[in-house]
Amino acid sequence: MTDPLAPYEPSVRDPFDLRKTGHLLRRAGFGASLVIRRRLARAGLDAALEFVAPALDQTPAADELLQEAISFGEIERVRAFRVWLALQSAHPLRQRMSGFWHGHFATSNQKLRDPRAMALQQATFDRLGLGRFDDLVLAMCRDPALLRWLDNDVNTSQQPNENFARELFELFTLGRGHYTERDIREAARAFSGWHVRDGRFYFARRQHDDGEKEVFGRRGPLDGDDIVRLCVGRGESARFLAARWLRFFVHPAPEPDEIEALARVYERAGRDVGATLLVLFRSRLFFSTRAFRSKVKSPADFVIGTVRSLGGRAQPTWLARVMASLGETWLEPPSVEGWRGERAWLSPASWLLRSNFVADLLARRNGGFSLSPGRLFRGLNVPEHRVRATLMLLLDGDVGEESAARLQALAARQRGFSERDACELLHAAACLPEYQLS
Amino acid sequence: MSLDRRSFLFGAAAMPWCLGSAPWSHWLPRGDERILLVLELAGGNDGLNTVIPVDDERYQRARPTLGSVRRGAHRLDDGTALHPALVALHRRIVAGSGAVVHGVGYPDPDRSHFKSRDIWHTADPAHQRVQTDTTGWLGRAADLLARAGAGVPAAAVGGLEVPLALKALDVTVPSIARVEDFQWLSASRRGPLAKDAPAREVLEVDGADDLTRFVGDVARSGAALADELTRALQRYRPRAEYPDNPLARDLGLAAQLSVAGFGTRLVHVRMSGFDTHARQLPTHAGLLRQLDEALAAFLSDVEQHGLGDRVVVLLHSEFGRRVAENASQGTDHGAAGPTLVFGGGLNGGSHGPVPDLDDLDDGDLIATTDFRAVYADLLRWLGVDSEKVLGGQFAGVGL
Repeated sequence: MTDPLAPYEPSVRDPFDLRKTGHLLRRAGFGASLVIRRRLARAGLDAALEFVAPALDQTPAADELLQEAISFGEIERVRAFRVWLALQSAHPLRQRMSGFWHGHFATSNQKLRDPRAMALQQATFDRLGLGRFDDLVLAMCRDPALLRWLDNDVNTSQQPNENFARELFELFTLGRGHYTERDIREAARAFSGWHVRDGRFYFARRQHDDGEKEVFGRRGPLDGDDIVRLCVGRGESARFLAARWLRFFVHPAPEPDEIEALARVYERAGRDVGATLLVLFRSRLFFSTRAFRSKVKSPADFVIGTVRSLGGRAQPTWLARVMASLGETWLEPPSVEGWRGERAWLSPASWLLRSNFVADLLARRNGGFSLSPGRLFRGLNVPEHRVRATLMLLLDGDVGEESAARLQALAARQRGFSERDACELLHAAACLPEYQLS
Repeated sequence: MSLDRRSFLFGAAAMPWCLGSAPWSHWLPRGDERILLVLELAGGNDGLNTVIPVDDERYQRARPTLGSVRRGAHRLDDGTALHPALVALHRRIVAGSGAVVHGVGYPDPDRSHFKSRDIWHTADPAHQRVQTDTTGWLGRAADLLARAGAGVPAAAVGGLEVPLALKALDVTVPSIARVEDFQWLSASRRGPLAKDAPAREVLEVDGADDLTRFVGDVARSGAALADELTRALQRYRPRAEYPDNPLARDLGLAAQLSVAGFGTRLVHVRMSGFDTHARQLPTHAGLLRQLDEALAAFLSDVEQHGLGDRVVVLLHSEFGRRVAENASQGTDHGAAGPTLVFGGGLNGGSHGPVPDLDDLDDGDLIATTDFRAVYADLLRWLGVDSEKVLGGQFAGVGL
């Protein structure tokens, strides 16, 4: 039997090229400029992985900026800071993974009205998101934002509130069908008294039910940490996470043997998330044609990815607003379930808004884009070369014949080549169907 | 529809690429269609504090603090009363252009927001897992209406994510947030792309695989929306005063769609915030007040435009809440609850038995009416084969 996660071995017939580099950087990060993509395509997969997840994270001044974002007490500042990190981070996978955990432990400021708690929850994702899953879940069970979001701050021994325990099982660790209603009621008792006071986790001993409980057949005076250990150690939990990671990083409909294989990698890695993902990113499956452009770009992929691919900068506050209009408001997921994603991202209306975002960005009508698009085409005097450059910049030079031909027809009609023509050409490429796909 | 109107909407020269594309090419509004608006109260509306069994002392016992809303509630003639905030909607029910269906739910209720919402959206309580290609009940109805020649008959208003209820197999369902967004902007000059801009040609790309073709269809629909929707919507002027809240904005847009005579037959609007686990009284009252004011404005707007008998609004939630209040002056996830239906073309008043507060399932109301019976009535009213949409026969509740 073949291992679905067997490592990808570059060869003459199947080299590590610009197409694969772009794929890796889009999925494990938020894309990168053509200069970087070209360099990494030449340097190989190891170098590309070191770029995506460097041993040493040298993102400048993130802590100071976090404190500053919090000090304003405005959620827009925190959101802009998160977008800035995704744009600028020297550790792209960390920001990508924090985005994953944000959808996983989906907490919304709409209910909390507490930008500080939201910012600190995100910082916890940054800090623990690529470590052991156990540690992340334990931290989340003490996370003020999550505890309040799921009403555990009113869960007491006298009046248990089941919301937190239910979502811990259903959405965070096990998935539906792997627990009973009784397990939930008992687990809710174990988390009674896990409250929040003065913006911090607080164990309210007198509100905690330290009586005997039974969860998954284990009996004893269980507390919240015991419940977490029971959950994360179950085989269902490994498969539940593996399926989510495959859908998030590889393709929307993973096969059972792929899920099983990734679950085993995760268990063998001692439930270390980062180590598991690096095996995934080295696999043949990850670079297979089945994975390539099989996902619909999320608004963050589209918006942040466009700015990064072109190698420019733009105002994070504006980018965050655009993402919100496209249906992805960071720090305000639509529900405990996070974002539904894939084809649900695209409606005729959101397609229009995506197109209009690119038009506004390129024409520099909004967002203070740092590049004038014409400069990207300097020295390219033939329409064919400009089409090739456009496709390299935005699509790794890899699109269907028809798409290339349409763009060629457009370029051939441009006389002279002004700044406006550069905008028109790039905008048209961003309206190609391939550009909506990751 | 006359040829003139058709060429106005679809001027062949303006959208050559549109003629061959399935959903938009045979969009033939006749201007006399019935329209169903589904307004989802997301989060699990507390049905027992919406349609209140005011005289039942078991209700008062179960809700020592939350039960105080019964004072000031508006009586119906079946021993229940509407929440004090629902002033205008009560008036409509008394006048016969509104209905209450009591105790609506489904067997073996699920208390997860998502699972229960998916059940209401798919009209399929038995299904175990939502696949990417799962369709919703409104989406299936849209597919049937499209085959009958109505083109793109469904729209989501307000959010950008198309709800599962509207997922269809054949038609692309647009999601609409603001009229102003509907210009397709040019990158090389101010304003919208000219009708003959060469950049438009990229929309003609036909994908090599299913996903790329899906994106291409969405793009063409988006461009068609930009070119045609804006123009038709500009003809509408509101004939009622809408309050200033997000729901009213969404309903105002829904009214524009209905009045513009676009052939949009199914509209989905979502109002959220009903997950009231703690300190429920002021939150719930505020939500219902917004609902009452916004929906009253919508209903009188469409009436003033002569559509009073052609528009029906269904209000539902993924579940009701527990009968007993919790210790945080809130309520936890429950099961059955009432649905409300408004519109001039239906049988108003009370429908279905009021659930028995003595006969509870683990602290929850037991449904007395299957939600698909309500759907069946509405589908029949729309002229859609309800058996095809619901996968079975449902008797209806007499709406």
